[in-house]
Formats: sequence, C-alpha cells, structure tokens
Amino acid sequence: MMMAVSDRFGLGWRSRLALGILSHLDRIDLVEVIADDFFRATRRERRALRTLAAQVPITLHGVTLGMASCVAVETKRLDQMARLCEEVKPVSWSEHLAFVRGGGIEIGHLAAPPRTAATIGGAIANLRRAWAVVGVAPQVENVATLIEPPGSDRDEAAWVAEIIRNSESDLLLDLHNLHANALNFKFDPVDFISRISPERIGSIHLAGGRWIGRPDAQRLLDDHLHDVPDPVYDLLEEVAARVPHALTVIIERDGNFPPIEWLIDQLDCARRAVSRGRSRQKAIAA
Amino acid sequence: MSDARFEEFLARIYVDENARAKFLADPRGEASRAGLTAQQIDDVVKIDREGLEMFAASLKRKKQSHG
Repeated sequence: MMMAVSDRFGLGWRSRLALGILSHLDRIDLVEVIADDFFRATRRERRALRTLAAQVPITLHGVTLGMASCVAVETKRLDQMARLCEEVKPVSWSEHLAFVRGGGIEIGHLAAPPRTAATIGGAIANLRRAWAVVGVAPQVENVATLIEPPGSDRDEAAWVAEIIRNSESDLLLDLHNLHANALNFKFDPVDFISRISPERIGSIHLAGGRWIGRPDAQRLLDDHLHDVPDPVYDLLEEVAARVPHALTVIIERDGNFPPIEWLIDQLDCARRAVSRGRSRQKAIAA
Repeated sequence: MSDARFEEFLARIYVDENARAKFLADPRGEASRAGLTAQQIDDVVKIDREGLEMFAASLKRKKQSHG
C-alpha cells in the first residue's frame, strides 16, 4: 500500500455506476469497493475486481467486521479481508467504529456502541488484531446514529479521539455522518473536528440523507440516496484547512442514482471545498 | 462478559419487534431478566425512545429493501 502524494477524489463503486465511472476515469482518482461483497465472490467476480484495480486505484471498505465491540472480531472475517487485500492490493482499507451483532444476533447495519472505556478498549484491541492479520492498519470511520447510544459516559468526539490516539488506525472522517449526528444530537461539528488530531485524519466520506420522523421530532437519516448538502462541503473546507497532508475524498451514493455527470460535478464541488481550505491554511502559515 | 451481554441486549431490542415491545413496556424488568448490571439497567431505562423506534424502523426498511 502507498501514501497519497496529492489530494484524491473518488466515488464508491456500485454496479449501477460502473459504466459511468469507467468512462470518466480522467476525473475520478480512485474508487472505494465494499470489501464484504467480495468475501464469497466467484473467481470470475474476483478477476473482474483485479481488472478494475489495474485500471484505477482501489480502497477497500468493510461493513461487517464490527470493530467497535467488546467482543473480538472473528478471525475468519479478518482472514477474508487479508486475502482480499493480498489479491487486490488496495491503497488502503477501512472499517467502521460500530458493532453489527451481539450474541449471535445480526443487526443488519452499523450500530453505534455505548461510548465507554470498555468499547474503547475493545475497539483498540480489534484494530490491533486487524492490523496484525491484514498487515496494514485499517482506517476507521465514525458512524451516523439515529439513537443516542445507551450507556455512554462521554461524547462522540472524546470517544473517537481516544480510539485514534491509542491505536495505529487513522480516521476515515465521514462528514455526512458527523453532520447528521450534530443536527440530531445538537453539538457543533466544527468542535468535533477540532478535537481530532489533524495528522490522524486520513480520508473523508461525503454523502447525503433525508429527514425522517414526526414533524416535531425529526432526525436526519444518512441514507446515501441524496446529494451532498452544502454544510457538508463547508465541513470539508474546515478539515482541509487543518490537515497538513494529502486527503482522499470519497462520495458514497447507494441508490436513487443521478446521471454520472451529476456525481462528477459533486466531486468538483469537493475539489473546490478542499482548495478553499488549503488556501486558508496557506494564508495562516504565511 | 457483562459488556458483551449489554451489546447482545441492544442488538435484540434493535431488531426483534417483540423483544422491543416487551422492553418498552417494562424496561427495568426486561433489562434485569437479561442479566444486565445495575448500571446498565439504569442506562437502558433512560434510553432514547424516539431514537430507538427510528433506528428499529430504519433497520426494518433496510431488511425489506434487501428482500
């Protein structure tokens, strides 16, 4: 795996976007592939993935390991990730700071665990094991949550910062997850960003969502079915103003697909936001 | 062990409609019967009910959309 030398902008690889992505590789620097989709892939599917990796840098994104749990991640799952990384040679790989099962019950999505010393310890142990098995430390992503995690004794920024500080994993900062949590649970997302060491922010996710719930008690759902809203680009500018190294920025879109040109335009919006942030950083340094 | 039991309890009330209904009708009793610690029981009694219902509904929608 290699270090990025300049900011990179890419899209989540989805079969419905495949043709559009492949015909616009001059404007897409990399693609993010859901690793779990290939754990049980046929030889033909894995060959197709290798062919894709030969055309464009790939980053692998896990969704079912369940890193932020008091329970150890199953070795079988880590072995699957290790084999896929060995085969595809991604520029990086990542997982979520979430638990996805408990006592054999599959939740079917990413759940925010109680923000406690116990889950911090569990996450750090899992991340170290993942690093040992795969050979490269994963980046870890902050998750969106519709429910304030029961049993939490600290806020999200403190919880994430402590895991990052005590592990080898850099943060994959999902700015729509941050935006949604900040609106739903009424905290300042810029304060969150300021509490994470800029050197440890490795990659960025951007996405969109929609409001759900009763009119008097709505919450923002991170559904990846809508355009990236303007406040998320503002947060991207904030990050780019602080982070000293090259960033990888990925837009995630899981459905309700617009024309590919529309998504490429959103990548350009992201490029402009990063550029504004870099300009601020230079102005402060000058 | 108690932390793993807590995660299992949360997973159950997130995905199992019957377990969730029982819990919402008697949070302290259900948490106690699940073997949670006194602190964990106090924590789940104060659960964000609005968020619990929304998260459970989103999981159900996701499951239905994936067949």
